[in-house]
Amino acid sequence: MPGKKPLPQPSPLTRVFWEGTSEGKLMLPKCNACNRIHWYPRYICPHCHSMDLTWVEGSGEGTLHTFAVQHRAFGGWAEEAPYVTAYIDLKEGDRMATVLRGVDPTKPESIKIGTPVKVEFEEMDDGLFVPFWRVEDAA
Amino acid sequence: MSISKAAAIVGAAEANEIGYPDEPRTSLQLHIEAIKNVSDYTGIPISAIEGVFSTAWSSDLAEHLGLHPKYIDTTAVGGCSFEMHVHHALCAIYAGVIDVALVSHGENGWSQRRVGREGGPSYPAHRDAPGVQMTIPYGFSGPPSQYAHAMVRHNHDFGTTPEDFAHVSVVTREWAMKNPRAVMFNDETHEFGGPITIDDVNNSRLITWPLTMLHCCLQTDHGGAVLIARPEIARDLKTNPVWIAGAGESMSHSTILETDDFTATSAALSAKSAYEMAGLGPKDMESAMIYDSFTVTAAITAEMLGLAPRGDGYKLWKDGTAAPGGKLPINTNGGGLSFNHSGMYGMHLLVEAYRQLSGTAEDGINGIKGKQTNARTCVVNGTGGLLSTTGTLVLTSD
Ligand SMILES: [Zn+2]
Repeated sequence: MPGKKPLPQPSPLTRVFWEGTSEGKLMLPKCNACNRIHWYPRYICPHCHSMDLTWVEGSGEGTLHTFAVQHRAFGGWAEEAPYVTAYIDLKEGDRMATVLRGVDPTKPESIKIGTPVKVEFEEMDDGLFVPFWRVEDAA
Repeated sequence: MSISKAAAIVGAAEANEIGYPDEPRTSLQLHIEAIKNVSDYTGIPISAIEGVFSTAWSSDLAEHLGLHPKYIDTTAVGGCSFEMHVHHALCAIYAGVIDVALVSHGENGWSQRRVGREGGPSYPAHRDAPGVQMTIPYGFSGPPSQYAHAMVRHNHDFGTTPEDFAHVSVVTREWAMKNPRAVMFNDETHEFGGPITIDDVNNSRLITWPLTMLHCCLQTDHGGAVLIARPEIARDLKTNPVWIAGAGESMSHSTILETDDFTATSAALSAKSAYEMAGLGPKDMESAMIYDSFTVTAAITAEMLGLAPRGDGYKLWKDGTAAPGGKLPINTNGGGLSFNHSGMYGMHLLVEAYRQLSGTAEDGINGIKGKQTNARTCVVNGTGGLLSTTGTLVLTSD
């Protein structure tokens, strides 16, 4: 029997983000002092060390920074291998991890760094919504 | 007196059985055997140890040895922790707090599947840490699943290919074939031991594209220990001192999500500190011991240490510079790729750097003809976590 996919345990610091994903919003932490976005959520701005932080809704747009194809996987991910993991440069700045969708894991040469991607949300076990990023079909 | 060479590594030793022992070893056992061996080797009694430097093990070790140390250091930031321990021991000796320091490592990367570890640090998931929350849903598994992203980005930025990095694996295997204690010494020590080709690396099992199995380090049992002493003591021993001319440490991130540049590490910063303390630079280095968790780790680190231009680290292996007989021998024990890799490889680097610079690299057990180099300087760099933390040492012989 396949195991479950590991999921995070939301905490006071990240609660707004995980509430946002359940409403289809990509909430991002923003510093009111230097106006910069940072990822992941923090108690203090890593850029200017102000503690005057807020949340803003992100555009859900980004570009592919780097990627890899996972051929060896465990638990709930085992049956999905091969799949593409990736890091996404957010339009607003900073970077998120993801499993990349809309790409062919058997043709890694066809996946291009810098490609535009868009966020989507999937309901996982326990009702948690997790953001994933997708390469849109070339129109 | 300056801090440079305020202390020396006066001896290094390993546990009795390393690699894939028939009889399972525990991590504690690997520690204690290495400590006993380095004490015998140097003639420094265990009771003379005043500082205990290890990962989260230090108090367990001191208790097991019946010691009441004056200085206890538990720095545990991955495989480079032991380079940092040497840095910290140098500082403690320079400050006059202690005279003799032990740096110890024991990790049954292989046997723990059968017998557990018998204490020490593990890597709890911290499922609620904010950085972990944002990576845990995405199907990453072990270190290969992450380091592959560095190779892909390096390929993109510098026009390199996975085949370029395969040369690191092939050349490192050539060194392993001069070390009978290397897991991959020959086809009797391991079914896949002995010489390999670029094609072998390319065609080995795919782990995380573009990393095949032969781009990845081993997972074996290893224990090692070094003793560090102030110069007055070091000069009176029967062993050859290896001077700690420079030391430095740094980090770029803890969670890989925070990596700014997947083609770089903080070794640029830790090396700058170490070179400055030593009053030496990359051109003065006659050998290097570089953590090769993956081929890409070693190649990128060589760039960070100033041994090769940005993007060109792999060429040190490709053109034979790092190979036996080359101008800059690298990872002369056979590396984490082909010698041993317990999980935290930093101690293996220290033991081999000591052996080379003390002229004991070819003792028949840990090295056969062709392994001993003429190098009198060595830059040692450990990388911890996921390209996260780094410790650099500049070591010299008399
Ligand atoms: Zn700020």
